[in-house]
Amino acid sequence: MMTPEQAVFASILICVAGAALTLLTARNRTLAGWIAFLVTAATSTLIFIAVATVLAGGASAGSEVFCKVPSIGFALRLHVDGLTALFLMLAALIAVPASFYSIAYMKHYAEYGVARYYPYFLLFLAAMYGLLSTTDMMWFFFIFWQMMTLPGYALIRFEHKKPENVRAANKFLLMMQIACAATLIGAEILAGAGASANSSAGVKYDFDTVSANLPALLHAQPVLAALAFGLFLAGFGIKMGMWPFGQVWLPDAHPAAPSPVSAMLSGVMIKTGVYGVMRYFLWLVPAGGQADFPLARWGLVVAALGTISLFTGTMQALKQEQTKRLLAFHSIGQVGYILLGFGACMALLPAAGPAAASLAALAMIGALFHTLNHGVFKALLFLNAGSMLHATGTQDLNKMGGLLKYMPLTAATALVASLSISGVPLFSGFASKWTIYVATVQGSSLAGYLSVCAAIAILTSALTLASFVKFFGASFLSRTSALVKERAAGRGRLEVGAMMQMPQLLLALICLMFGIMPAIGYGLVHAALAASPQGFGKTLGGAPAFSGGLWTGLSGVESHSIFVPLALLAVLGLAFLAARFISRLGAAPSRAAPPWLCGYAREAECNRYVAHGYYGEIKRYFRWLGGAPPAPSVNSAAPKEH
Amino acid sequence: MNPNVIRMIAGGLANVVVVLLIAPLCEGILRKVTACLQSRRGPPLWQPYFDLLKLLGKEDIESGESPALQRFVARLALAAALTTACLVPMGFPAPMNGAGDIILLIYLLTLCGICTLLGGLAAGSTYSLLGIGREMMTMIALEPLFAIALLAGAVHAGSFRLDAVLNGSVYAVPGIPWSGLILLVVMGLSFQAFVQRVPFDISEAETEIMEGPLMEYSGPKLALFKYAQMARLVIHSALFAALFVPWGSGLPFPLGWLLFWAKVLVIVLVVTAVAATHARYRIDQALRYFAGLLVVAFAALALAGYGH
Repeated sequence: MMTPEQAVFASILICVAGAALTLLTARNRTLAGWIAFLVTAATSTLIFIAVATVLAGGASAGSEVFCKVPSIGFALRLHVDGLTALFLMLAALIAVPASFYSIAYMKHYAEYGVARYYPYFLLFLAAMYGLLSTTDMMWFFFIFWQMMTLPGYALIRFEHKKPENVRAANKFLLMMQIACAATLIGAEILAGAGASANSSAGVKYDFDTVSANLPALLHAQPVLAALAFGLFLAGFGIKMGMWPFGQVWLPDAHPAAPSPVSAMLSGVMIKTGVYGVMRYFLWLVPAGGQADFPLARWGLVVAALGTISLFTGTMQALKQEQTKRLLAFHSIGQVGYILLGFGACMALLPAAGPAAASLAALAMIGALFHTLNHGVFKALLFLNAGSMLHATGTQDLNKMGGLLKYMPLTAATALVASLSISGVPLFSGFASKWTIYVATVQGSSLAGYLSVCAAIAILTSALTLASFVKFFGASFLSRTSALVKERAAGRGRLEVGAMMQMPQLLLALICLMFGIMPAIGYGLVHAALAASPQGFGKTLGGAPAFSGGLWTGLSGVESHSIFVPLALLAVLGLAFLAARFISRLGAAPSRAAPPWLCGYAREAECNRYVAHGYYGEIKRYFRWLGGAPPAPSVNSAAPKEH
Repeated sequence: MNPNVIRMIAGGLANVVVVLLIAPLCEGILRKVTACLQSRRGPPLWQPYFDLLKLLGKEDIESGESPALQRFVARLALAAALTTACLVPMGFPAPMNGAGDIILLIYLLTLCGICTLLGGLAAGSTYSLLGIGREMMTMIALEPLFAIALLAGAVHAGSFRLDAVLNGSVYAVPGIPWSGLILLVVMGLSFQAFVQRVPFDISEAETEIMEGPLMEYSGPKLALFKYAQMARLVIHSALFAALFVPWGSGLPFPLGWLLFWAKVLVIVLVVTAVAATHARYRIDQALRYFAGLLVVAFAALALAGYGH
């Protein structure tokens, strides 16, 4: 029987071997694609087994050592505890549909070979497995970070004949190196200043060593320690797309990559930044020495940054007219929600009061659950955008319209994802946002500013809805555009094939599952916290944050909040039947007719209401916030060919 | 069977039936009083019932781009309104008290709006798209306003339960309830918009963009949307009464119940009086107005957070 650490190590090796294999077989696109998928599926099976072991039976006591070279103190230490397991699960969960989607999707890049796609995809995945489970804060952190960044760079500039993609990739590379430097300097500060005689060279940068030496440093040199934590926040903040760093690279990088990679970037890669911040802020300070760590102040900083990220990211997303760029800005916004939950957790943990620890745990559950949910629905949205790109050949929402008729399955899954990200009840985003709101508003008796953050988050959720009304409405609904008609006439069928439908369907079902039975997500996250006993994890895992079950729904701390999705589903279903009954009372006949448009020529493309026209007033008021699309796409918004 | 579940089902049914029966009457009162204020005779009180019945029997012209979705959202619009009615206390405690809290209530209220939005988008006419743009922008400003009022109540009550919050909780602080009073004013000033009446019926604006999102709807589908909109007036008035005018809700059955509906009637009359004497705002004017209210509301919420 493999230990979880061995399973992760084996997965990394399998991915690397798979990368070599796909490089050799890259001449045959389909074969390379299938190999990449099978390798991903094999590793994710291993990862799922490891995750199940950890979540069910608890983590092993310490890290496990691989590749030991004692003469130079070189050793790879891996440790899979609950927190790591949760993020590993997300990586494996998204990688499988993304790699399966790639098989058919990559065929339409006729000019670009897949030798620069599948090997990098697998290396990228291996690096994420490694980065999430290594306990080495210096060398292997660096190795895995670069192993993630360089293939990521190559994947983003996959379509290298477009200069904007190369620019986006360069920006990504630069920002990731800055982030890497910031994080490593932070680690060096903590490890160097806290190093004592008992730590040999090999474990100087080990998580446990740094953790053991940290209380003394926090007590003696609080400013230096704060600098290190500030660097961690900046470094991982760049990675996760936090304001103000996210706006620099993220909206350019995500649209440039092929869609399955965008799904991986947004669904998983930026979550490694979330993981890093959580790991270093809450699990690094050991249980005995938490008095000198200004956790509440860091909580304020992170909650404020989260609130700014969620508002700015979403408001800028509202201005976008390119599918993937719009989604990329929403990644900044949704990471803001995660940070808000995490910041509230940090702000509430040290507070006095009977329910403080429970509320902190609830906030953390909200943040982690939203991480999972965002990974799933954002990956799905990027796959949807990929299918739309595949069908129409454009990312421009202004040129789309009426795709629902042509791509019903993609439309249905996109609707599920859009409602999920907008936080509509019975879809997955609602449950996690609900948790974050409950924790922040109830926690405002301990930290007054949190209720204002929650209200801004609710306002932002209306903005998210607005943005996805545009995303879904302008592409799938509204009047069929000239481009869509032309493509449909030329190709006969616009809907993507079954190979590309299945991953979308799978992710949509996961969204629905988490939406209707959020207790599953709660259970996973809670088990993860319970299996991460280091640092503050012990308090978080042990606090009575919620009660409930699959059928009875959820209720928060002391049953002050309650959400029973199945009861809601039943009532809504019955009300729907009642409405259906009422609508049929008169036995009205029905007849199809073209819509009336005050006599204007219905077919003229210039009379179509396009994405550019949405929400003019709001966009005008928030012009100062920036992020508006460049002029050319605005000009092409109203084609004059008719 | 669990008595709580039975209470939930019975209470939910009662609320749904009452809303379905009373909503057209409120609309009738509104029309009649408007007519009186404008020196007209106006239609009889029960005209809205006739209108709905007539629409249910009229030919259903499927003129939009995606008929199946249009049919679905028309039904969902009324269903969402009726479900929301189960979360609002109407003379009795809220029936779904054990199945949802105020955050769910906030989002369910948006769900009614989402149905109109999807309906307008699915119709695909330029006018409906104009209308949904306006509707969405109004929702962006209004959803947080309502949320802030409910959240301030939740902060004071220390709980999100419907029975704890929808019971005048905004005033539940020692001393003068500043945040509650400020929010009362703010909600009073924006109430017309929640029930989509003049001067904030910008998204429908019959005289301008011909009912906007509902332009392509006729027959039974239009009846459902209209019914949902009438229900909205009742539900929002009931919510306002429960949150801001809680006095007398503890009275024994017939008295408390009658008093509650009397409060709702007064609110409907106020809405009517305002609607009959004002002209419609443009969307930019309305947004500026809401933005001001939103700033005040945020200040009130901050006050509530620090115990005032």
